[in-house]
Amino acid sequence: MNFVELVRQRLWQANHNASPVTGKTGARWRSFIPFLAGGFIFVFPLLPLVNNYWIDVGFFVGIYSLLGLSLNVVLGEVGLFDLGHAAFYAIGAYTTAILNTRFGVSILLLLPLSALAAAGFAYLVMSPVIHLRGDYLCIVTIGIGEIVRIGIVNNPWGLTNGPNGITGVEAPALGSFLVETPTGFYYFIWVIVALVILGLLRLQRSRVGRAWNYIREDEIAAEANGVDVRSYKLLSFTLGAALAGVTGSVYASKMMVVSPQSFLFMESALLFCIVLLGGLGSIPGALLGATAVVVFPEVFRQFASFRLLFFGLALMIMMIFRPGGLLPRKREGLGFQGLGIRGLAQSEEELIERGRLLVKENLALRLSENLTRSDPLLETRGVTLRFGGLLAVNNYDLKVYPGKITSLIGPNGAGKTTLFNIITGIYRPERGQVLFKGENITGLKQHLVVSRGIARTFQNIRLFPALTCIENVMSGPHCHGKAGVFSAVLRTPSQVREERQFVEIASFRLHQVGLWEYRNELARNLPYGKQRYLEIARALATGPELLILDEPSSGLNERESEELMELLQGLAAEGFTILLIEHDMNVVMVISDWVSVMDMGSKIAEGLPQEIYNHPTVIEAYLGKEED
Amino acid sequence: MAMAVGFVFLANAGAGIMVERVAYRPVYPAGRLPLVVSALGMSIFIQNGIMALWGPRFQVYPGRLIPTASFHFWGLTIPFLKILILVLSLLVMGVIYFIVEKTPFGAAVRASALDRETVTLLGVDIRKVILFVFTLGPALGGMAGVMNGMYYRSIQFSMGWNYGLKAFTATILGGIGNIPGSMVGGILLGIMETLLAGYVPGGGAWKDGFTFLILILVLILRPTGLIGEKVAEKV
Repeated sequence: MNFVELVRQRLWQANHNASPVTGKTGARWRSFIPFLAGGFIFVFPLLPLVNNYWIDVGFFVGIYSLLGLSLNVVLGEVGLFDLGHAAFYAIGAYTTAILNTRFGVSILLLLPLSALAAAGFAYLVMSPVIHLRGDYLCIVTIGIGEIVRIGIVNNPWGLTNGPNGITGVEAPALGSFLVETPTGFYYFIWVIVALVILGLLRLQRSRVGRAWNYIREDEIAAEANGVDVRSYKLLSFTLGAALAGVTGSVYASKMMVVSPQSFLFMESALLFCIVLLGGLGSIPGALLGATAVVVFPEVFRQFASFRLLFFGLALMIMMIFRPGGLLPRKREGLGFQGLGIRGLAQSEEELIERGRLLVKENLALRLSENLTRSDPLLETRGVTLRFGGLLAVNNYDLKVYPGKITSLIGPNGAGKTTLFNIITGIYRPERGQVLFKGENITGLKQHLVVSRGIARTFQNIRLFPALTCIENVMSGPHCHGKAGVFSAVLRTPSQVREERQFVEIASFRLHQVGLWEYRNELARNLPYGKQRYLEIARALATGPELLILDEPSSGLNERESEELMELLQGLAAEGFTILLIEHDMNVVMVISDWVSVMDMGSKIAEGLPQEIYNHPTVIEAYLGKEED
Repeated sequence: MAMAVGFVFLANAGAGIMVERVAYRPVYPAGRLPLVVSALGMSIFIQNGIMALWGPRFQVYPGRLIPTASFHFWGLTIPFLKILILVLSLLVMGVIYFIVEKTPFGAAVRASALDRETVTLLGVDIRKVILFVFTLGPALGGMAGVMNGMYYRSIQFSMGWNYGLKAFTATILGGIGNIPGSMVGGILLGIMETLLAGYVPGGGAWKDGFTFLILILVLILRPTGLIGEKVAEKV
C-alpha cells in the first residue's frame, strides 16, 4: 500500500471507530464545538494581542464565511457547478455603491436591496440555462462572472466609473450610531453570519433542503419522485445570489471603495475552494474553509511571494487526503434528530401507526373510488416514438384496469422501459395519447405526473445514495407538501406539522416493506435486494393510485421473489393498481391479471397469463422459431 | 530553434506526467469536484513557482528565434509566422484526430474517458493511455505557449490563465469530446472576438464578454455544443 493510501486509512479509522460505551463515533466533545466557536468569535476582538489588523482579518473571515455559505447553497446542497459566484457578490457591492453615493440611500436599507438586485439578476440570467448539464453549466457561470466584471470595467451609462471604481460609500447607520470602527464592522458581519447560519440550518432540514439534496444525488430520480427540479435549481441560485449580494453590500460599506479588481475569476475559484475545503453542504465547513483561506495567506505573509505557492500546495494536499472536506456533513448515526423535526411521537409503534392513519385518510378513499370504475385507470392510445431511425414504440395501445396487476413483457430491447418513460413524462410521444383517469397527461412534466397519482421505480435502481433510508422515502410525500423557504426558516406551525406528517408517512411505508430497522442507514449501504424494496417504499410514499415498476424482481433470488409477489398482491388487495415490466415468468404467471407482450416496439399479443404462456407468437419472440 | 522547441515538448511532457501522479491520481476515487480543486491548486502552484523562479514581470521573447519573413500577394502582406502557426495547428489537429478517432489505441483513450475500470478489464494498459494523454496535452500546451510568445514577443507567468479559460470555452463551444469541434470552436471564438472588437464601436473592451455571451446563446440553442456530443443517458 503506498503512502497516500496508508494515511487515508488511518484518517478513516480515526473517524469511524465507535466508542464502546456510547456507540457514537467521533469524540463526545464534538457537540460543544459550536458553542466554543461561537464564544470565541464573540470575544475575539476583546482578547489581548488582538489589534485592529487582526480584527480586520476577522472581518474578512466573516465576509468569506458568508460567501462560502452562499455558494454552499448552490454547490454544496444542489451540486451545481458555479464558478461565477463573484458576479452576484459584485452586483451586491455595486448596487450598494451606486445607490449610496448617487442617491444617498442608507446602507441599512441597501442590505436587502442589494440582495434583491443580485437575486433578480441571478433569476433572469440563470433561467434560460438552468437545464444545462454540469460541465456546460460550469462554463456558463464562468461566462456570467466574466461578463459582469467586464461590464463593470466598461462603465455602462457612466454608472460604475470603470476600472477606478466608486469611492465614498458610507458606513451603516443604526439610528445615530455609525458602524465605522473595525470592531463595529466585525460584529456587524458576524451578526449577519449568525442569522444566516440559523436560517440555513433550518432550511437544510426542511422540505426545500431535502429537495435540493435529492437533486444533487440523482436528478432523474428526484424528478421522477415529484420534485420540480428546475424550480429548485433556480431557487438555490436565487438564494445563493441574494446572500452573496448582502455580503457585497457589507464589503462595499466597509471598504468605502468598490472596484472591479475585487471580482476577478480567481475570486469565484477561491469561493469554490472554500466550499470544497470545508465540505460540500457543510455549514461549519464553510466557516472553517473561509478561515483557512483568509488566515493562511496572513500567516504566511512573511513569505510574501511564496504565499500563493503554499496555497496551491495546500489545496492539492487537502484534496488528496480529505476530498470530502475538513468538516463534511454527517448523516449517518444521527437518527431522527438529524431530521430536525419537532413533536415526533416518542415510540416507534406510535409513529408508524400515525403514518398508517394518515395514509388511510389520504389514499384509501381514492383507491376505493377507483375500484368502482369500469374504465381503465391508465390508457395509452396509439403511442408512437422514434429515436432517430429507430422505431422504439409503435402505435401501442395499453389498458390498465384499477385494482389489477398488469404485466408488460417482451424480449430485451423491445421498448418496454421507453413506454414507461412516455407514460411518466420523460419522453413525449410523437403520436398518440396517454390518459390517466380520463385526463390527457401526454407529455406532462414528470413531477406533475407524480402528483396526479402515478409513481414508478427504475430498472437500474435509482436511489439517493448518500441519504438515509428515511430521507429517501420522505421524498415521496414531497410533491403533496407546500412548505417553501419562508415557512422553513420561520418554522411556521403548518410547516412543522407537515414535516411531522412526512416522517410518519415515510415510517409507515418503510415498515410496510420491512425496512424499518434500516431507517437511519445510508441508502448506498443497503444490500441489493433491500435497495429494491427501498425504491418501492419510496414510490408508495408518494401516495399513488398507480404503481409502475420496472423489473422489480431482477436480481432477487427465489425466496426474495416470492416475498415480492406477496407484497405486490397485498398492495393490489389494498386497491393499488400495478403495472409491471417483468422477465421472471414465474412472477408474471402467478400474480398478473393481464399480460401485454411487446416486441420491437409493437404489441404482438395480449391476454390472460395462461393464454400468453402458450401463445406461439410470444414464444417465437423470446425463443425463436423451430428450424424447419 | 528546433532544439528549443523539442526541449519544450519534453519538458512539458515530463511536467504533465508529474502533475498527473501528484495532483490527479490520488484524487480520482474522490470524484470530479475534488479533482477540479486539485487541478486549480496545481495550476496556482506551477504559476507561482514560475513567478518565484523568473520574477513577475513580462519577459521579452528572444528576437532571434522569431522568423520575420513575410509573403506578399494579392495586395496582402502575410507574415510567415502567422502561416507557420496556422499550418502547425492544423497539422497537429489532423494528427491527433487521426490517432484518437481512427486507431484502436485512440478508441481505448476514448473508452477510458467513459469507463476506466471496464477498459482495464478488457486488457488495455491504462498506464499507456494516461501517459499518452498527459504527455500530449501538456506538450501541445507548451507548443501553444511558444507560438504565443513568438507572436506577442513577451511572456509572463500568468499568461496561461486567460488562454486556459478560452481553451475551455472553445472546447465547450465545439462540444466536449469532439476534437475537430474544439478546433472549430477555437477558430470561431477567435474570429468572433476579432470581428466584434473591430466592428462594434467601443467593442474592443467588451471582446471577452461578447464571446461568453455568444457561447451562452449557442448552449441555449444547442445544449451539447455546436457539433454536439453523442451521449444519451439511459433512464
